[in-house]
Amino acid sequence: MSKVSSLADAMSTVTDGAHLALTGFAITRSAVAAAAELVRAGRRGLTLTQVIGSLETDLLVGAGCVDRLIYSGGSLDRFGSLHSVNRAISAGLPTEEYSTLSLTLRLLAGSLGLPFLPTRSLIGSHLLARLTPTGGAMMITDPFSGAPVLAVSAVRPDVAIVHANVCDEDGNACVFGPLWSIKETALASARVIVTAEQVVPRGGIDPSRVTIPGAVVTAVAEVPAGGRPTAVFGAYDYDATLLSEYAAASRAGGETFRRFVTDQFLAPDEIVAVAR
Amino acid sequence: MTGDWTPGEMMAVAAASLLRDDDVALVGLGLPQIAALLGQRTTTPGIQLLLELGVFMPHPVEPAMGIADPRMWKDAWSYGGVIDVLGAMLHGGRVTLGILGALQVDPSGSLNTTMVSAADGSVRRFNGSGGGNDIESLAGRVLVVMRHDSRKFRPAVEFLTSPGRMLDGRPRAEYGLSGGGTVAIITDRAILQITDAGAVLASVHPGQSPESVLASTPMPLIVPAGGPDETAAPTALQQRLLRDELDPKGWYLG
Repeated sequence: MSKVSSLADAMSTVTDGAHLALTGFAITRSAVAAAAELVRAGRRGLTLTQVIGSLETDLLVGAGCVDRLIYSGGSLDRFGSLHSVNRAISAGLPTEEYSTLSLTLRLLAGSLGLPFLPTRSLIGSHLLARLTPTGGAMMITDPFSGAPVLAVSAVRPDVAIVHANVCDEDGNACVFGPLWSIKETALASARVIVTAEQVVPRGGIDPSRVTIPGAVVTAVAEVPAGGRPTAVFGAYDYDATLLSEYAAASRAGGETFRRFVTDQFLAPDEIVAVAR
Repeated sequence: MTGDWTPGEMMAVAAASLLRDDDVALVGLGLPQIAALLGQRTTTPGIQLLLELGVFMPHPVEPAMGIADPRMWKDAWSYGGVIDVLGAMLHGGRVTLGILGALQVDPSGSLNTTMVSAADGSVRRFNGSGGGNDIESLAGRVLVVMRHDSRKFRPAVEFLTSPGRMLDGRPRAEYGLSGGGTVAIITDRAILQITDAGAVLASVHPGQSPESVLASTPMPLIVPAGGPDETAAPTALQQRLLRDELDPKGWYLG
């Protein structure tokens, strides 16, 4: 049976309080249209896991949708910092900050159904000191050698969102270019929503190009330009003007940010359709 | 004070002098990347570059806004993910070199890339670890490239994002870290070598006096018996490459 639905219907399955996982990276492949749908729906109380924070992270945190953030830092590259995220952290947003590899290993453990994975990263840092009380990371003894090693616990989000280049109606999704932690994040999650630049019928995808198997995908929505203003490799470059304006609005915060988000990301569908 | 080069150019050239032709390197954006690309174009053409988000051997030809800018991935050998690059390559022991920036360092080469406090107690947060902690924790050796600002040198960093060569005065391997940690801090005034005994003023750049460098480095710093060396000045070829090709917009080398 086809998994294709509208973006609004697919995103309506992400409910208040859900543990959401996102897969954008700074200024690339952010699921901006999907995140905007959550803002439009007024979602609250989300736990957000994302290996590298990006525009979508900043958008959701800035809009007040997120109650807990699990990430390893992030930025808008030279366009600016994740100002809304940094401001929220300073104001007390509960945050668990990892390194890129250690958080990806938590997701890999989740995807494999393992309780934890060992690593030599993060050891001895203040990052680890802060994470140990959260249950995310703990020094253990290698049972084989007796040497100290770090265990990072599995994380299993409720739902992941991936913005793909192409996806078929069964959810077999192709992500072109570098994959950072997209695959581990999707496979760790109980459900996966794919937004895709293009949705094709069954048989329309080369199996060798599939990044996320349809077996784990629960919903597919065709959202051309769904990553704008971030870059989607193989589809379009970032919109430098809009990214600069976003960074400025996020830095300003408050009513300036709210109005910018409303005007740029929550516009009525027909206006967005014309812009495409 | 200095010759006909900018502080950034001197840093890039000094960092490039510490690269090896057989290095497999993970580098941060900005001066670390410029230094690696300079080495690739000049004295260490065999150096292999990796980007943490899953790019092997990119050949960027125009300035990029960050590692997430697809311009950075141009003409790469291959694409993969974090588990390939920070996992199999770095954690697997195949990455010989990391080049990183830092907000603060200490004499063992430990890094703060997370936050700094102002005199009034307010905290300014930066971009966080990303792969920085992974690289410092796991790479064979790490070069730190940063401006010689006295506020950046601390007897102990304010927030320990990534442990350096020693941790609480003991070798890092005792704690379970692999790789060697920081081996040198390259600034626009000097090269500080990180040893088991602490930070050593290994060389000062042309036009800098050891005394002035010491005066602007408020952390324990060992001066070698015969005094520090003088770092080689940028060559005309290096300056042409830096100005015309590697950073034509002057984002990093000013």
